[in-house]
Amino acid sequence: MTGTPVISLKNVRKSYGNFELGPVDLRVEPGYVVAVVGPNGGGKSTLIRMLMNLVQPDSGELTLFGGAYPDDEVAIKQRVGYVPERSLGHDEMSAKAMGEFVSRFYPGWDQRLYEDLLKRAQIEPDKKFGKLSKGVQRRLAFALAAASGSELLLLDEPTVGVDPFARREMLEDISRFMQEDSDRRTVVFATHVMEEVRRIADYVVFLMDGEFLGLHEKDALLEGWRIFWVDREPEGDIPGIVEVVEGGSPTRIVSDSPRETAEALFAQNIRIVRSGTVDLEEILSHLMRPSKEGCRA
Amino acid sequence: MSAEQKQARIPLHLSLDDPEPMYRQIESQLRGFILGGQLKPGTRLPSMRALASDLSCSVITTRRAYEDLEGEGFIRTRQGMGTLVAEIPEEKMSAHRREAVDGAFREAVRAGRRAGLTEEELRDILEETLQKDDTNVRLGGTS
Repeated sequence: MTGTPVISLKNVRKSYGNFELGPVDLRVEPGYVVAVVGPNGGGKSTLIRMLMNLVQPDSGELTLFGGAYPDDEVAIKQRVGYVPERSLGHDEMSAKAMGEFVSRFYPGWDQRLYEDLLKRAQIEPDKKFGKLSKGVQRRLAFALAAASGSELLLLDEPTVGVDPFARREMLEDISRFMQEDSDRRTVVFATHVMEEVRRIADYVVFLMDGEFLGLHEKDALLEGWRIFWVDREPEGDIPGIVEVVEGGSPTRIVSDSPRETAEALFAQNIRIVRSGTVDLEEILSHLMRPSKEGCRA
Repeated sequence: MSAEQKQARIPLHLSLDDPEPMYRQIESQLRGFILGGQLKPGTRLPSMRALASDLSCSVITTRRAYEDLEGEGFIRTRQGMGTLVAEIPEEKMSAHRREAVDGAFREAVRAGRRAGLTEEELRDILEETLQKDDTNVRLGGTS
């Protein structure tokens, strides 16, 4: 399964003022949902805007479907549906007119899907964009991207301002998008809502203060980390230990190599009272910590 | 289209507290439904993406499970038809049923050891369980 990647970034860097993104090395194969997470200002939008050629890298190599900007821009963009961080400039246009406008650019435009998505989001086709609530505007932006017939969706915080019920529907919409032609389609979405990552992502990209913390397989992360509560604090070097909360009874240990940690605890005659999973937020905060300390040291 | 409507909705459940990785949990539950006859040969299984979405796991996990089950001959993937439950020869079915029981015993023994029980105590528990169990031996099998 190592054909042409949908997205390939090699040693890509971008800086503005004192913000520096990268180096980013990322390869995304078709058929996956990739979540881009991290605190605000971490570089999520910059990364997605680079994929849209709205921001140009200072250095490095960036390709989509094997093509590069600016030479292949038209060919690339006919295969990409984009939801920008802020939808703007269409206040006077109706949903219907926006569909007609966008459809001209995409040979694979799916009018039926567009109408379905509008109906699902309860958007009246003749209502002007500017009269819609922020959350509904997001759903309209998504409908435009999804109906474009594109193989790749780049969604920059698609659910911001969307109420929880509608957010659920949007996640279903993304999942439905992926169910058709599933070997060719790809979704990259920026979010800071971990619940969305948990529900639909296959891979997670972490960005923190512009630093790229790698592409992680979501289930491997969830399965690869565990919390152990033990009857006393371990001594010396125990493999895999990321954090020990001292003074607790029982003591709480976070491990990123649970098997090795459990064996070492066993060798020290330490009893594991309970073990449990580590949620994505906590894994993320641990993954970020070394870089954070590194930056501030 | 009609084949699509016949697609099975399978009550699978994933637990992250289970030490078994998620793809193994999917495998063993599906295997259980196939061996138990709840999923009959020819039944269409959900696509890997649909199953991943149902279970909130990644498609990497569901693919791994389907590939393993296909390798074991429980399911097969046909171009344009999706994934179907395979026809399994009777002798293979009974061998697998035996395997499932072996697995359950292994798990019980492990649980016992984790609880610090001796082998003697484990044997006593087995004996006691056998005596207490009044399930008709044929229950769930051929009546």
